Amino acid sequence: MTLPDRRRKRAWRRGLVLLPIVAAGLAPAAAGAQEAPPANHWSFSGPLGRFDRPSLQRGYAVYAHVCSACHSMRALRYGDLRGLGLTEEQVRLLAEGKPDAPLPAPFPDADAARAANNGALPPDLSRIAATLPGGADAIVAILTGYRSSRPVAPGQYDNPFVPGGRIAMPPPLHAGQVSFTDGTKADPDRMARDVASFLAWSASPHLEQRHRLGVRVLFYGIVLLVLTFMLKRKVWRDVR
Amino acid sequence: MAGPRHDDVSGSDRPPPPGANEQSAAEAPVGPLSYGRFGGPPTSDLPPGAPPLAHWIDARLPVLSYLRREYVEYPTPRNLNHLWNFGAFITVTLVLMILTGLFLALNYEPSVAGAFASVEAIDRQLPSGWLLRSIHMAGATLFFAALYVHIFRSLYYGSYKRPRELLWLTGMLLMFMVMATAFFGYVLPWGQMSFWGASVIVSAVSAVPLLGHALAALLQGGAILGDVAIHRFFVLHFLLGFAIAGVVGLHVLALHVTGSNNPAGIEARGPGDTLPFHPYYTSKDGLGLVVFLLIYAALVFFAPGWLTEADNYLPADPAVTPAEIRPEWYFSPFFAILRAVPSRSGGVLLAGLSVLLLCLMPWLDRSPVRSARYRPVYRPMVIVLAMAFLTLLAAGLHPPNGIWLLLSRIAAGCWFGFFVLLPFVHRIETPRTLPGQLAVADPA
Amino acid sequence: MSATGPSDDPEGRASILPAAADQPDPPRRDFLTLLTGATVLVGAGAFSWPFLDSLRPEGSGDAAPPLDVDLSRVVPGQQIVVVWRGKPVFVVRRTPEALQRMRGAALRQKLRDPDSHALQQPAYAANWHRSVAPEWGVMVGICTHLGCVPGYAPAPGGGAPDWPGGYACPCHGSRFDLAGRVFQGSPAPLNLPVPPYRMIASDRLRLGENNDSGSFGLDDIQQL
Repeated sequence: MTLPDRRRKRAWRRGLVLLPIVAAGLAPAAAGAQEAPPANHWSFSGPLGRFDRPSLQRGYAVYAHVCSACHSMRALRYGDLRGLGLTEEQVRLLAEGKPDAPLPAPFPDADAARAANNGALPPDLSRIAATLPGGADAIVAILTGYRSSRPVAPGQYDNPFVPGGRIAMPPPLHAGQVSFTDGTKADPDRMARDVASFLAWSASPHLEQRHRLGVRVLFYGIVLLVLTFMLKRKVWRDVR
Repeated sequence: MAGPRHDDVSGSDRPPPPGANEQSAAEAPVGPLSYGRFGGPPTSDLPPGAPPLAHWIDARLPVLSYLRREYVEYPTPRNLNHLWNFGAFITVTLVLMILTGLFLALNYEPSVAGAFASVEAIDRQLPSGWLLRSIHMAGATLFFAALYVHIFRSLYYGSYKRPRELLWLTGMLLMFMVMATAFFGYVLPWGQMSFWGASVIVSAVSAVPLLGHALAALLQGGAILGDVAIHRFFVLHFLLGFAIAGVVGLHVLALHVTGSNNPAGIEARGPGDTLPFHPYYTSKDGLGLVVFLLIYAALVFFAPGWLTEADNYLPADPAVTPAEIRPEWYFSPFFAILRAVPSRSGGVLLAGLSVLLLCLMPWLDRSPVRSARYRPVYRPMVIVLAMAFLTLLAAGLHPPNGIWLLLSRIAAGCWFGFFVLLPFVHRIETPRTLPGQLAVADPA
Repeated sequence: MSATGPSDDPEGRASILPAAADQPDPPRRDFLTLLTGATVLVGAGAFSWPFLDSLRPEGSGDAAPPLDVDLSRVVPGQQIVVVWRGKPVFVVRRTPEALQRMRGAALRQKLRDPDSHALQQPAYAANWHRSVAPEWGVMVGICTHLGCVPGYAPAPGGGAPDWPGGYACPCHGSRFDLAGRVFQGSPAPLNLPVPPYRMIASDRLRLGENNDSGSFGLDDIQQL
């Protein structure tokens, strides 16, 4: 990874507003064939963000029908899918009665995965939205950013959103590949957005609880702040 | 401070006349029924107004009068500012770290195969596990932030000087212990940053002259950084948390011998110069603590990403080093010194020396005046020292080339220059007039 | 957090602060101290929640799948032990003679609960042989006294002259017959539990599914 990209990633993670612009300005044109992913609006961004439950569920459907053929999500268990808004009954059905079981991995280990994929290792997706620079935006950009559906070299596809502009993953999403139970039309853009939401959820599954609890804790803290401030003033009033 | 000792057996609320205690001790029959020391009746240092049960307990186990003496009546300089809150911040953070750490340890598995997965399971499946882990992770950052401010405060106001040398040295010992604990703890999730951080530190330790290789082998415990190392780091991390709590006890014990220093840097001279710890400093520490905990909560709930390296969510892979490997921010200044020196063992030595020099402060600084407020030469020097620290911190977070390499070298020069010049400062410095007493020293 | 305890000693202050503390504190401070202290206590109480929450038992035991047991190679008089849901389950093929003794009036008198009144088995096993098929005994091999695994002692006679064959617990000497019924005088209070199971063939049983349409589970057992 090139240094300016790295810097951009850090700044993005730290939520700074100005730094990315500066870094983008400094980035030399020859830094590589990688383009910055276009920014999307996400319901889960920001300090009070929440997930769009129907989108998460469609995203899981995309993962289960498409991505899971090559990509594992080893950290997840079926029971975790309750976080997508699935009912206990739906989880039980998906898990075939074993909600404590992990999501099945497509390959037993990294060697088997490489052997089946021309030597390329499909990364585990449990935390991909955190570890991939650019997060959910980058996922959408990569999934929908192929310049051609044909390989430019054996096992190499032209995608400007990955370092070096070459990716080993063939274009994964095609219209109508998944039929969503909520009637949403499964076009590649929709599917990419939904699966990016789902992967963002998987990267921080407690985001909503965290935000909800955080508001309460800060509220409590401010009440206590007022009380301790008054108490301290009162106690110290007679000290000159 | 301590009033007359009271005999609780009589059950009387009235204070006995002075000397009554010695008298009764002399008259008491010496034998199996006498249970005070030297055969006297059990006595309590609590005031006569305290409940009889409190007297009864305190005569046998004097914790209540100890707490009263050290945390209620304890005379504290009246002019302490909010920089004196940071010791309380550190103590509270330490308690939070030990508590959350205990519960995390219940669910952690110290092995190459299990560590990463067990941390993921804490984060995802353990009820409230994400919260406990988040508090523990943010705690590391806040611990160091508070620790560095605490140390800077001591440097600025000369709190390391006679008679507080051992207070300072126990503090330095605590800093080393906290650094070791943080390092061991950071390795435990066994992500990419954990693994490579540990690799780099083990290599750095092996660069220490003479002992290096033996020490590194002891840390690693085998040919590779693997199960043995993880297990050792886990046990050391766990043990050090409690050891730190013990040394904090010594630190506070030493503090209560001399009493707190203060912004004026002169000793309290009379009752007018001090306030009882409670309610004055309990309320002031309490207010500071609430602000501190608000910041803590904001980090935990709204900015957890600031405190985590995303790459540590990738499982450790001995075959791939992350593109940019750097330590957590709290080690960054020393890391910057290490990189600023174009020599392996030289860098390690200077990075170690940069911290060790701090330990010598009480003996390097020969001026009799404590507070930088009254020291026209020392004051700019200690401010430059703080700025050098911050510059090194920033430099360590950036790649070591161009402007950052230059800055880190300048800042490292300032850092060491401070300690080289310090023994001579008192010769050229004319201190400003010190106030006679604290009551007029700090009108604010 | 003990920073805001109530002030209990105005005199102590006065002795050290003669100039500042000559005025009595207004009552509002006491109220403020109490309110702040109470708020801190509430916060500390709430803060204990994530710690307690993390101690909650993990996973749902009911998620353990049913287990099929092949009985075709078990000869009469033999017992096999299978582990299901982490517990030893005895599957014993009782001989006709053993069944005969189990029905004997002499034995009945020595048992504490010969008719399986206590809820230690599903309804379809509350019979004289405490099983679905008389030939096959199925019991959770955990003594109802203090949880040891009873030893299999099928031979009549044995150490005691009137021993009809059954189980003897090594820990405290509780004794059960071959249907898992506890003998009087044993420290164990109840019969050995019978897990939910059904016979899916004459030589095959499935642990974890009921023989009737009921929902009997291990959690329904009075003492396991």
